[in-house]
Amino acid sequence: MNAAPSADILGMTPAAAAVAAAPLPERQSPGRRLHVVDAPARRRRRPKLVYGIVAVVGALAIGAAQMVLSILMTQGSYELSKLNEEQRALSYQKQILQDDIAGLSSPQFLAANATALGMVIDEAPSYLRLSDGALLGPGQVSFGRSSIDALGRAAVPNALVEDTPLVTDPDATIEGPTVVETDAGTDAGDGGVVNTPPALTDGLPIPETH
Amino acid sequence: MTTKATRSPRRRTVVALAVVLAVLAGFIVRLVDIQVVNADDHIADSMDRALAGARTLYGERGSIVDATGQPLAGSIMLYDAQLDPSNVRTIKRKDDDGNTVEITWEQSSAQIAEITGQTPEEVRKVVEDALAENPNSQYARLVKGLTTQQYRKLADLGIPFLYFDPHPARAYPDGAVAGNLVGFVGLDGDPLAGIELSEDDCLSAKDGRVTYQRGADGVVIPGTERREDAVDGGTLQLTINRDLQWFLQQLIAEQVQDMGAQSGSIMVAEVETGKIRAIAEYPTVDPNDVDASPEADRGSRAFVNWFEPGSTFKALTAATVIDAGGQSPLSTVIASSDERFPNGARVRDAFAHPPYEYTLTGVLIDSSNAGISKFSEKVDPQTRYEYLKRFGIGEGSAVGFAGEQHGLLRPASEWDRQTVYNTSYGQGVTTTLPELVGAYAGLVNDGIRMPLSIVEACTKADGTVVEPELPAPTQVVSEQTSAQMRTILENVALQANYARQVEIPGYRIGVKTGTGEKSDGNGRYKAGSYFTTMIGFAPADDPQFVVAVTLDEPTRIKSSGANAPAFQKAMTQVLKTYRVMPATEAAEVLPKFG
Repeated sequence: MNAAPSADILGMTPAAAAVAAAPLPERQSPGRRLHVVDAPARRRRRPKLVYGIVAVVGALAIGAAQMVLSILMTQGSYELSKLNEEQRALSYQKQILQDDIAGLSSPQFLAANATALGMVIDEAPSYLRLSDGALLGPGQVSFGRSSIDALGRAAVPNALVEDTPLVTDPDATIEGPTVVETDAGTDAGDGGVVNTPPALTDGLPIPETH
Repeated sequence: MTTKATRSPRRRTVVALAVVLAVLAGFIVRLVDIQVVNADDHIADSMDRALAGARTLYGERGSIVDATGQPLAGSIMLYDAQLDPSNVRTIKRKDDDGNTVEITWEQSSAQIAEITGQTPEEVRKVVEDALAENPNSQYARLVKGLTTQQYRKLADLGIPFLYFDPHPARAYPDGAVAGNLVGFVGLDGDPLAGIELSEDDCLSAKDGRVTYQRGADGVVIPGTERREDAVDGGTLQLTINRDLQWFLQQLIAEQVQDMGAQSGSIMVAEVETGKIRAIAEYPTVDPNDVDASPEADRGSRAFVNWFEPGSTFKALTAATVIDAGGQSPLSTVIASSDERFPNGARVRDAFAHPPYEYTLTGVLIDSSNAGISKFSEKVDPQTRYEYLKRFGIGEGSAVGFAGEQHGLLRPASEWDRQTVYNTSYGQGVTTTLPELVGAYAGLVNDGIRMPLSIVEACTKADGTVVEPELPAPTQVVSEQTSAQMRTILENVALQANYARQVEIPGYRIGVKTGTGEKSDGNGRYKAGSYFTTMIGFAPADDPQFVVAVTLDEPTRIKSSGANAPAFQKAMTQVLKTYRVMPATEAAEVLPKFG
């Protein structure tokens, strides 16, 4: 790069080039060379500044974005951790509630409740045909006769609800009537009936979990 | 124009570049070494040294549901509590007012005991025993199988030396309903009996695992989590109807008690599909509380016991002589109540009577041993043996229940002079309840015996449905023979001495009883003790269900009449459950005598 600049590179006019090729004393005139070089030098310097600014700003932006992302991610993982905690608490609550109702849908619990209400399992069925109103089957009336005794002789145990009082008869479980002490009546002297469950005011009670 | 001045900067550039590349190469080599070559070691190191955490992801064992989708078995979580005896000490805690209070071990053990249902002394003894054995002991099991509620209450006490281990367990929402079939799993989760055991491939889950690193505050560091998901077990649907199953269990329990029997069972199968709708047994097991039942009551007697069937086999013999011996329901033989046969065999009836000219129908109505023995001579013993095989006697069922047994039918060549006749009325041969029900279902289903099944399908966690593979149906007798047998058995229901007991108003049914002898264990029959059976089908003109009731050693009534009330109620309930319409045509009545 230290080589002497050629005429073409310096952008001289053909006339000036011819002058440049002239003997040395002519070449050493400084005025023309400065005049020509000035303009490109100015053009080159200005982009450099812009690029510099862009690069620095870009680097700062990347740095900032990385920090923001990192903060968001940390924030997110705290959020996630909180929500996980909440989910765990809720799933515990769900499990507790499921444990509470397990067995309530079993046939023996339903049948014991129905029997306590005086319902019976009837014998041979009769059907009413809607198209012509015909009665199919014997059409007999059941006089309180049940083919099985689902409460008095309950024989299909279910450990999940063996101590759960019946909905229709709080004095009985699926294993039959529980023994009720006769002096329970004296306890009721202060106004309440002992075996009546407390009334629900705001929905089913929810177990406390943390 | 390369001068020293121009060469020197270029060399500098090259040298600088080379240095940069060398450093870069060094980094790359090290990077590959860290990330690829020794990656596993470093991960292991990080797991050891960093605040690493790991957790087992429990797969949920599949549920068992009945034919209508109601759950019979499901999974729940139970918790084991452990103590760290070396750390047991007085703990300090801030109360609601912000004051620090001390809670002594005496107090906290009382709090623990209140929740676990132990006494405070028992809780303290766990710790004392552990410390006596090893003063630095860090582990002592306090109690197993806590419910979620108990676990949360204990966790809320905030006792640092008390910790918990969750593990999946089984719950059976319907208790003893189908407990004999569903079976149960042990405390460690291993299936021990019934369908839980035989269908474990469908039900079992695969546990997963998640590992991660935590910051000092316990929060998982993003990007460090490694997860291997658990695979849940499949949902197993049975052919059982749980409401019907419950009714029949209650019914057979009452009947066993009323008759003073040792045990009893009721089985219901759908004729056209072979699907078992109920197998009720008493006594039986509540899988929620297995320990409450004696060992012998924890399985299914219907599948694991075999018995001498007695007279229920007369229908199979009658079908054989109609199908292969050219007989009809009105063919006759002369039979008295005590017959001697030319080969020296002697056959007696349960009641004394002079020689009657019995029709084949009449032989079954009166359940005459002598009569069916005479009819059995219409075909050779080998043919009868082959028909019994086709009926599935001695073959077991297609169910493949855990521990299922099969009856014993010896080849005809091994039948001695007496056995040749005895087998025609169900002696000298044993069978199981599923075999007998399968045989009757084939007998009345136009002669097509469907393989019995108890599993509808297994729906895997990924949604694929696997249906059990069953053997092909068997044509046991011709369609015409089957129709004639339906008429004969319907006439048994109409004319037998227990006809009024089994009558279901509005419906036509067919029925046959059997009173099987019991072995005394010394190669002789046990005197005065019988295994009684009543098996029937409805509707008689287009059978949909076969119902069988068995009682083991009834004592109030020793004959199969003991089964009649339960059979009538069971069949009525089956017809109601499946909305089978009452009959519109009258039965064809056949004569008993020729």
